[in-house]
Amino acid sequence: MAIRLTFWGVRGSIPTPGPKTVKYGGNTSCLELRFGADDRLVIIDAGSGIRELAGKLLANDLKKGPIRTRIFLSHTHWDHIMGFPFFTPIFIPKTELEVYGPVSFEEDPLEKVVGNQLSYRYFPVRQEELSATIRYFALKESEQDLGGGLRLRTKYLNHPILVLGYRFEFEGKVLCTAYDHEPYQNVFDVAPDAPGYDAEAVREGAAAAAGENEKVSQFFRGADLLVHDTQYTHKEWLAGKKGWGHSTFEWAINAANKAGVKHLVLFHHDPDRSDAKLEEIVNGYRAAIAGKTPMQVSIAQEGRTFEV
Amino acid sequence: MEEKDKRLAIIQTYINKMPSLPITVSKILQICNDPKTSPADLNQVISLDPVLMGRVMKLINSAYYSLNNQITSLVRAIIMLGINTVKNLALSTAVVAQLGHKSNFQALNIDGFWRHSLCVGVTAKLIATRRKRDPKSLEEYFVAGLLHDIGKIPLNNKLPTEYVEGLALTDREHMPLYLAEERTMEVNHCEVGRLIIKSWNLGAQMGDTIFFHHFLDSYPGTHRDYLLTVSAANYFANANQIGFSGDRYPEKLPEFVFTELGITWDDLEAIEGLVTGEIEKAKVFLQVSE
Repeated sequence: MAIRLTFWGVRGSIPTPGPKTVKYGGNTSCLELRFGADDRLVIIDAGSGIRELAGKLLANDLKKGPIRTRIFLSHTHWDHIMGFPFFTPIFIPKTELEVYGPVSFEEDPLEKVVGNQLSYRYFPVRQEELSATIRYFALKESEQDLGGGLRLRTKYLNHPILVLGYRFEFEGKVLCTAYDHEPYQNVFDVAPDAPGYDAEAVREGAAAAAGENEKVSQFFRGADLLVHDTQYTHKEWLAGKKGWGHSTFEWAINAANKAGVKHLVLFHHDPDRSDAKLEEIVNGYRAAIAGKTPMQVSIAQEGRTFEV
Repeated sequence: MEEKDKRLAIIQTYINKMPSLPITVSKILQICNDPKTSPADLNQVISLDPVLMGRVMKLINSAYYSLNNQITSLVRAIIMLGINTVKNLALSTAVVAQLGHKSNFQALNIDGFWRHSLCVGVTAKLIATRRKRDPKSLEEYFVAGLLHDIGKIPLNNKLPTEYVEGLALTDREHMPLYLAEERTMEVNHCEVGRLIIKSWNLGAQMGDTIFFHHFLDSYPGTHRDYLLTVSAANYFANANQIGFSGDRYPEKLPEFVFTELGITWDDLEAIEGLVTGEIEKAKVFLQVSE
């Protein structure tokens, strides 16, 4: 086993506790990654699920020594950072945390964007009072060597704010995330009689969208495990969710299959999606692709672990 | 020299937070506060504001690392960054303009400057079209033209007294504006342009045009086509007095510009109607509907 992934939050947009989501879980985005025999820890996203991950770290990891880890944020929308003040290792001296994530054109650094959740008006403890050592790093599209044979590549995705997908490579295995992400659209492709129609822009837009979609496909090509945004069905997307920055089941399954992904994990479930409905939808697609692709398709579920 | 450094420091601070042109601000606010904004409207309002155009280019090129692949198309930038991000970026530059001085245009007349910039952008694009350049690069000619005088904005806003003196000097001694700028401020708009190029990560096509458009003879780079096209367009705008950016007595355009581009003055005259038509269309677009 090279890489082990455990989900602590799988829900999109906002936590949705309750009987309808009890099976797959109501916490927002948080992934625990473990690499190699020494269980090296990397965290992706600090949604509400990170609180329970913190409990596990305190119970198991802390006895082996102070928590030293990196958190990679896909982006700074609230559902992906809201759990940060409840990540208890930040209150423990000797914890060493590096937080990475994309920042947009605003001048505030990541430290403020994320850390300001710990300010008087929102939270009883201020960032300045934390005993842990926390360092923040703005991340762009890049490739880096994280040491110990772990390599990371990042890729911008399409969302109403800058978002990074992560591709971790370790001991010949690849784990990739592609959320929150809507396939790039040619937004200039309107009816020829619409105001502002510009044939040149339509052509340029088509080339740009196709080019970017191809880059995303290259980014997760051949992944052993791909965690992909599937907030909507195609029908829902057509009925008013275009431009919201999320993918459909249909797109994710097709794109992953085309890119030779071995195991696709459907992620970022819509807050209104009940467990029953989620299974019904996914079973439908499983039946539709049965025998046509060797790709495995799973539903991201709180507490569930995937190994490659 | 000390005085010059002080001025450059003031200018650099201003560049870091440069506001949109007052002429486009209301339209930007209207478009960006409308939840149903069309990408076409967003595209158009940005392409009419040199500052905003520069900032979008800065964002797209600083966010995306591949330096060998500078992005110069606004359409592409809007698709890659997303409408929401571009809208918010536009709003942030418009809001700075609103908070700024009542008139953040001092010595130069804003309407004249805007018309001149737009005229050079439109003309450069039309020349490139006529010369059958790659259709994908036409937008770049427009942007290079639109931005060629961007260095005048900080000078005009942060050193207004000296700039008025500079303008007076061009009138009195019939000298090109960039020389008058050097006489009164020890720095010309091309040098200020270079600071902006650096701060905004502008691509070489735009950067070289901004920095060398009064120094064609000494240009060493490979974007000659853009530089000469914009210079011809600039000369055309000045000669026909479409808009006004302070250069009443520009240096004569070296002959090799027309020879190298393979165009004649008549070619330019032939597109004058198109150019003024485009500017009037833009003017109508910028009117804010109630």
